[in-house]
Amino acid sequence: MEPGLWSRCGLRDSPPNHQSDLILKTTANETELRDALKRCPPQTIEAAVAYRQNKDWELVPTIVLGIIERFVEPEVRPTVRENNDSTRLFEDLGIDSLLMVEIIMLVEETLDISIENEELRGLRTLGDIKSYLDCKIRGLPLPQKQKSLGFEEIAAVMPQQHPFLFLQESRLNHDYAEGSYRINGDEAFLEGHFKDNPIFPASIMLEALGQLAVLFLLRGQNEMLQEQVDPGRIFFFGCDGVRCHRVCRPGDFLHLKVKLKKVHPPLAFFEGSIQCNGERVAFAEEIALTFATTAPAAVDEKIHGSNGTHLP
Amino acid sequence: MRNVVVTGLGFASCLGLNQSEVVSRLKESRHGIQRYEPFLKRECGVRVGAPIPGFDTTAEDPEDWVYPEGLKLRLDVLRGLPPHGVYGFYALSQALEDAGLARDQVNDPRTGLYTASAGSPSRMYYNLDRMIRFGPQRCSPLGIVASIAGTLTFNLAAAYKIKGSTSGFVSACASSGHALGAARDEIALGRQDRILVVGAEDFSVETILPFVSMRVLSPSDDPDTASRPFDRDRDGFVGTGGAVAMILEAEEIAEARGTTPYTRFSGWGQASDGFHVAASHPDGDGLARAMQNALDATAIEPGAVGYINAHATSTPVGDISELRAIKRVFGAHQTPAVSSTKALTGHALSLSSIMESAFCNLAMRHGFLPGSAHISHLDFEAEGVDIVHESVSRRVETMMSNSSGFGGANVVLVFQQPG
Repeated sequence: MEPGLWSRCGLRDSPPNHQSDLILKTTANETELRDALKRCPPQTIEAAVAYRQNKDWELVPTIVLGIIERFVEPEVRPTVRENNDSTRLFEDLGIDSLLMVEIIMLVEETLDISIENEELRGLRTLGDIKSYLDCKIRGLPLPQKQKSLGFEEIAAVMPQQHPFLFLQESRLNHDYAEGSYRINGDEAFLEGHFKDNPIFPASIMLEALGQLAVLFLLRGQNEMLQEQVDPGRIFFFGCDGVRCHRVCRPGDFLHLKVKLKKVHPPLAFFEGSIQCNGERVAFAEEIALTFATTAPAAVDEKIHGSNGTHLP
Repeated sequence: MRNVVVTGLGFASCLGLNQSEVVSRLKESRHGIQRYEPFLKRECGVRVGAPIPGFDTTAEDPEDWVYPEGLKLRLDVLRGLPPHGVYGFYALSQALEDAGLARDQVNDPRTGLYTASAGSPSRMYYNLDRMIRFGPQRCSPLGIVASIAGTLTFNLAAAYKIKGSTSGFVSACASSGHALGAARDEIALGRQDRILVVGAEDFSVETILPFVSMRVLSPSDDPDTASRPFDRDRDGFVGTGGAVAMILEAEEIAEARGTTPYTRFSGWGQASDGFHVAASHPDGDGLARAMQNALDATAIEPGAVGYINAHATSTPVGDISELRAIKRVFGAHQTPAVSSTKALTGHALSLSSIMESAFCNLAMRHGFLPGSAHISHLDFEAEGVDIVHESVSRRVETMMSNSSGFGGANVVLVFQQPG
């Protein structure tokens, strides 16, 4: 490096040995901060100035929403102000990856944090951004990203297989899972249920929900399930409060959802629901599964029977 | 090879923001030059320039730029735009309306876009300065899109969803001439039915003042006489910017649409001086051959050319080259009527060729020749060249527009009354 070049650029005489030495803040003082935020709502600017002093993380949503509002097109600003966690960044607010970069740059400067591009990948909604930044500021572990699984991955993992696998794709979240299954009409049992009037049996609908819960146990990322569950030892334990509201036929696309309620090993309890075309098809207040982990674990004799066999 | 016609014009210029204003000012020789504060306060020896009325793009932040009410620019577009992009959007939307083209015709894969500009030195400086002071991660992600030559193509092609041929041309003051010539060929060869051609340039301290050290800008304090091509006492050019858009279509397509063209763009010629990076060949050798090439390409006799819109920028050296070139091609005392409209507009750099071609189109439709204004004493080299000092009513069949750029590039475009 040519001697004196650094100082001519307004930097120190010796080359920097750390990235943060090189980068000066564009908002080093309050005047610059106010100038950088000048198109944000007034409450955002004041919150940003206050945050500089007191680092009160409760101010962060006001700051971040105000910065987002400043960057989006005028016609979607009312949507930002609604502050709805499920507002989608791209579909509802028109924020593409380049605009996200600009928003994040100003957020980094204002909150004095550093955000890696990798961490932004899964953020899809206003709620995602707020919870991400909340964790970032408070030093908490980052929220888990949603995991999507296609048919092959599901089949590779599940103990159930064709012709008794009723999950075609799935999305796993922290404490719930969604999935789908299209009734194709070739299912063998439809021939007899009923003759000349194929209707998807309610028991199979319940089975489908149970299978989604099995997938959650095997591939979900919940802290209550830290150890790897053994696919060969997950069984139906019981269900309660099951109601069916309409019949489903070949061609119907079933949207399945199960929510983890609690885990008392070896039992896991879920709530489940099925929708089709926006209508509620079935609901189960409780689906209980019994499971075991791959590491040897204590077996409860009372549940598994005195001769050590498992319940079917 | 198909015929190509001009079907639409749009202006964001120092002579006005619409056709009728431009025509009046050309006819009445009313220039757009004024004493310009940003130059004056730098005390660098340049005092005048020709800003574009209704626009102010001097602010660092594009969201602070001023432009006419009717022009709507989304924030995400504005962030990647240079100042001349704003002029470009204005001129192009006017030209498309003038040509009567609908969105689906613009989005058709047989419609292309060619542009000419030198990029934006002011955006380049702003972004690089930030990069050096604050680091590359602190720069706007669209900084480079807004700065480099080609920015006009990137922005207009994306915003207008152009699916045909797109390209940019960079040959300094001959740029938009090259754009027009190449666009014409693309249509004549049958590869496209229509090409939108846009030439534009920033008008800013960063674009104009680097010419100060080259000693080619007029130091004059008097806006009424500073730009005076062919005058014996001329002392350099006056800077301007803006944008002009021209819609070129295959003649048969325009006919099928029922639109009346301004002119037929009959052909063009180009040739180079092979002489110097900035100065023109003393005898205008390249320009003479470019004019000859244009005549050959269009099979037009020299005597049939009614008017030449000269490149002449009001520099001591450049104007001489052109006068000699014209005499060589047409014969002394047998030249067409000649004028340089840069007396009224100043030199628009990348934009000058298309702007002056647009003036030719207006002049042919309205039956007049713009005068070569501000001449008190004609340079003696002009002896034998029919320079019209004042605008005159006259309908001509054929007009030529000359442009010369750095490195000795010369482009000559030929327009004729529509068939």
